[in-house]
Amino acid sequence: MMADEAQLTAGTRVQPGERYGFFTDTTLCIGCKACEVACKEWNLLPAESGGLTGHSYDNTGALSATTWRHVAFVEHLRSDGAERVTAMQPFQSNWLMLSDVCKHCARAGCLEACPTGALFRTEFGTVVVQQDICNGCGYCAPACPFGVVELDVDDGKAHKCTLCYDRLKGGLEPACAKSCPTDSIQFGVLSELQARAATRVQDLKSRGVEQVYLYGVDGVDGSPGSTGGIGDLHAFFLLTQRPEVYNLPPAPTLPSRRVRPGLVRGLAAMASIAVATAAIFWSDTRGA
Amino acid sequence: MREQPPTYYDRPALKGGHWGYLVATYFFVGGLAGAAQVIAAVVDLLGHRRDRQLVSAGRYLALAGALISPVLLIADLQTPSRWYNMLRIYRRTSPMSIGSWTLVAFGTFSGLAAVGQLASDVFGLPAGRRVARLVGVPAALSGALLASYTGTLLAATSTPFWATGYRILPALFGLSGTATATAALSLILDRCGAPRASVRRLARLSLLASIAELTLSLRQERIWRRAGVAGPLEEPPLALPYRLGAVGLGTLAPLAIHVTQVLTGRELRMASTLAAVAALAGGYTQRTVLILAGKRSAERPRDYFRLTAADDGLRD
Repeated sequence: MMADEAQLTAGTRVQPGERYGFFTDTTLCIGCKACEVACKEWNLLPAESGGLTGHSYDNTGALSATTWRHVAFVEHLRSDGAERVTAMQPFQSNWLMLSDVCKHCARAGCLEACPTGALFRTEFGTVVVQQDICNGCGYCAPACPFGVVELDVDDGKAHKCTLCYDRLKGGLEPACAKSCPTDSIQFGVLSELQARAATRVQDLKSRGVEQVYLYGVDGVDGSPGSTGGIGDLHAFFLLTQRPEVYNLPPAPTLPSRRVRPGLVRGLAAMASIAVATAAIFWSDTRGA
Repeated sequence: MREQPPTYYDRPALKGGHWGYLVATYFFVGGLAGAAQVIAAVVDLLGHRRDRQLVSAGRYLALAGALISPVLLIADLQTPSRWYNMLRIYRRTSPMSIGSWTLVAFGTFSGLAAVGQLASDVFGLPAGRRVARLVGVPAALSGALLASYTGTLLAATSTPFWATGYRILPALFGLSGTATATAALSLILDRCGAPRASVRRLARLSLLASIAELTLSLRQERIWRRAGVAGPLEEPPLALPYRLGAVGLGTLAPLAIHVTQVLTGRELRMASTLAAVAALAGGYTQRTVLILAGKRSAERPRDYFRLTAADDGLRD
């Protein structure tokens, strides 16, 4: 039997039933945006209008219906300009870069909000919008705790990263991970990635980078990288600063947790109205 | 004031909803229709013979709302030709799915109840009245859900302004639905020459709903302020429509008129009409403002980060 290409490029065989994901190590990102380009090319996503944002080298801005990888650039320069870039420490020298992507959450807010079943969990543990089912109700977009999925008003469907569902089906590594020249984006079986990431954190700490932590690995409760009721993020990150710095929410919550208490309170209010109506209109001589 | 969290160039960390006037109108119509059905069913079961016109008006009004609501929702879909995919599955974690099925149930039962009512009202068939009374019960149950689930629909998102409303917004929408339903019904009864006793009782229900709505609004505002997400309501352009429209017209004005009428014991037809129109306009403004405020809230990363980092106001 022929080996999967993913076995050659990522050391992983892609099999249905396993949970796959991305480990994005921000300490290795050099901000080349190869992932953005590879994603656009493979998924045939149109370019968005050009223009400069003035936000460092980030002219992409944010994830959107047609941008499924987004490299964030954070510059920490002293405002008085007294500190020259060349005088900074060589590692993570006040230049932070992170390639953001859909988190493919273990409990996905978008999927739980989708009324049509267009959003579904694939055999690879990822979350995908079925384009032939989505009717563009748009409820997944405000539901996502990470602001990833977006409704495209041009074609009337919601879009987001599919973790290259079609490539996985063919045994290929996702385009962004394959194109990443520094292995900042690593593709693999989630449990293996998490073990690798834990080792990387220990390694960095032993080399004196104290503030590193994993964002999106469940079980580290209370830390800024914990994910509340969302569970493991299938795309998780190694960060050196607070999540907000990279536009990631600290300890987000699962929207569907608020469904039951909300419905109960609404019905209780209506029951009170019914009782009040009965009290006001009560009559011994019924109108029948 | 808590510490200001850092942001990424103040760029939004969330995607807002695309909802606009169509969904706001649906919230208004659905809330009014659902509450009207609840009132009709309760009055039919427990009320007096003289309240029959109120029951009829409630049933027809509910049916009208049940017919308009799906049209508004389908028009809001970005791929409306696939509206039927809403009925492909039922998902209990999705208020959108719950709402779609509620609307199906409400439409079916409201239709049957209205047909029964019509048979009784126009052809004098007593069987029609029995059918209406029987079907009116499930119609009212689905109506209660229809009037209030829209608050949960907003709350079960990641938008800070909506998410912090999960304890209050559903009840607030239910009460506002009741206030608008009583307003619409009183306008109809007034034009039909219904018995004054009927109209007076309706005004009393309206007064109660307005008091409860005002109380909940104040509590919700306090929650928003405490969570640090009240910005969109306190700043232009929404501050004025919220204060004057949603609170002023929607609750304070009808409240003042009803209280005056109760205290003086005098009922001016003009004043009652004014109270009803104000309540309707205010109710519509309330839904519109709260939807727009949520869209602005999603664009404020500080509000969102403060909320998730503090880990309060979002859990039960």
